[in-house]
Amino acid sequence: MTQNVSVDDDMARDLLEEMLRIDIFEEETKERFGEGEIPGFVHLSGGHEGSHVGMGAAMRDDDWLAVGGARLIGQYIAKGVPLPDIMAELYGRVGGSNKGHGGQMHVSDIDRKLYGHAATIGSGQNPAVGLGLAEEMKGTDNVAVTTIGDGGTSRGSFHTALVFAAYWDLPVVFVIENNQWAISTPSESLSPDSLSDYGIPHNMPTESIDGSDVEEVYRAVSEAIERARNGEGPSVIESRVVRLVPHFEGDKETYRDEEEYEQLKEEKDPIGNYRERLLENDVVTEAEIEDMITNIESEVEEAVEFARESPEPEPEAAYDHVYRTPLYGQGE
Amino acid sequence: MTREITYVEAIAEAIDEELERDDDVILFGEDVEEFGGNFGETEGLYKKHGRDRVRNTPLSEIGIAGMALGAAVGGIRPVAELQFADFAATAGDEVFNQIPKQPYVSGGQIEAPLTIFAPSGAGIGAGAQHSQSVHSWLGNVPGWVVVTATTPYDAKGLFKSAIRDDNPVFFLPHKMLSETKGEVPDEEYTLPLGEAAVEEDGEDVTVVATQLMFHRAKEAAAEVDADVEIVNPRTFAPLDTETIAESVRKTGRLVVVDETVERYGTQGHIANEIVENDFFSLDAPPKTIGVKDIPIPLSPPLEQEALPSADRIADGIESLF
Repeated sequence: MTQNVSVDDDMARDLLEEMLRIDIFEEETKERFGEGEIPGFVHLSGGHEGSHVGMGAAMRDDDWLAVGGARLIGQYIAKGVPLPDIMAELYGRVGGSNKGHGGQMHVSDIDRKLYGHAATIGSGQNPAVGLGLAEEMKGTDNVAVTTIGDGGTSRGSFHTALVFAAYWDLPVVFVIENNQWAISTPSESLSPDSLSDYGIPHNMPTESIDGSDVEEVYRAVSEAIERARNGEGPSVIESRVVRLVPHFEGDKETYRDEEEYEQLKEEKDPIGNYRERLLENDVVTEAEIEDMITNIESEVEEAVEFARESPEPEPEAAYDHVYRTPLYGQGE
Repeated sequence: MTREITYVEAIAEAIDEELERDDDVILFGEDVEEFGGNFGETEGLYKKHGRDRVRNTPLSEIGIAGMALGAAVGGIRPVAELQFADFAATAGDEVFNQIPKQPYVSGGQIEAPLTIFAPSGAGIGAGAQHSQSVHSWLGNVPGWVVVTATTPYDAKGLFKSAIRDDNPVFFLPHKMLSETKGEVPDEEYTLPLGEAAVEEDGEDVTVVATQLMFHRAKEAAAEVDADVEIVNPRTFAPLDTETIAESVRKTGRLVVVDETVERYGTQGHIANEIVENDFFSLDAPPKTIGVKDIPIPLSPPLEQEALPSADRIADGIESLF
């Protein structure tokens, strides 16, 4: 059945392009990691692209994003961090967004109001509440959007953040990307019917949506942001997605049912589905999509070149940024 | 001109003046509004500055510390109270993993000019989970500036600097000192962070001591037949090793007394700094004295057994001669 397109053509093309950008960037990341060029470990976003991009499109540049969950890189891209800054950070190089101090889990870009990620899953939501408080104190109508995975909702810190946001009606949008797996623990074993139900006792508006549909995410997050901007307080959205990739590169996924997995790949691939939808509605042509892909591939190639050419940090840089010195009054 | 006020009055004055001076400063914590804090440290602030600037929070240190981090990154200067220093542990992830590390992992992009303050220390029979001194826990995590206060003068001047500093600062008043009185200037002042103060001059032995232990070290100094110099570190992290070393170069002897547990406490670190870098200025091995390796018990005689007494400090000093 053909689904209609609910946004204008330009925006629809942008949404598709941004999802393709995440996909192509991450495919390259996987390759570079496999070749040993990227240190540490890498979690990819496959299946989450619609959720990331719909959310990013719903935000203004001045809204904060506090990234959570384990699918991170796509969210950085959706917040508008330039690809070379991200890639160089994955490489741990000086040209990276965080000068190599952060890596995959800690890309931040304060000028673009990307707070970054709390690598201990579920600890980013209280800082997001603080970001919402700061905007309110400063009299802006900016909001803080914060993401978390299904696994992270089991942390007390997540529930505390709901309590605090509700206590002062702060402009915070909690997005739970439920991809059904906390590594190997299925989210269906958690009690709520929808994980957005965790907002109910706090009298927050809650909604559970198909997060593999980029337009649906854009609509729901836009509505929640609008409420927050208008002083109507926090919301909780469950964005139901499918993790179409391993938890991290190297995870053999022995815990998944292969047949069901194959079927989900068919049904819930946000990029493939949206591509079909735009083609069927004559929003784009195959040739236009091919052009997009070619352009993105060269952007990604440039990002890799930038990362490779960016120097390794000097060892002494390890001592930078521990403290801002002099401390107050020191040496006076 | 000076006047005499109590240690908690000094704290309340520091917050009051900073709320007045800078619109970006806000105070929040459990029971900081009408209740005025457990020890009276926030009394009157809510009435004067209103609910936007002085806010009660729900009961969760995770929320208080985590929200402080976000608010600081968002451009305001939160002053957040935990009712007891022990409760830093209930916000362990925020206190150990998030606040001190986010500025670092961001490559210096994130600025987190927040202050958490929490009454620490034993002596009021509050038991094992309301009596700990936690500056060795915090000092072990690079990224925190860890400050303690010994006198009302310290409390006011250091707290004001903590609020103005661009780093995350953990400020630890001592609950036993709440009602102690001391001279504080009438006019506005601040004290430098990261610098130790030589509180008492002496020629024969250096005693490093702060908070309640400083007062006990003074009693001990009066008991012993030696000219004691007392150095108050004020900031435990980063530590002003130079002022301590300079004192030891003069006296040749070092006693470190601190209200952290002796096992892996601050005493060993401070002594080690001198042994490694100034060994030949020592005329005797350094002596370290701290809380016995037990949780703080409730019953007063048991509690005092755990803490360094003036006698233990005096014995420690005499053992070096």
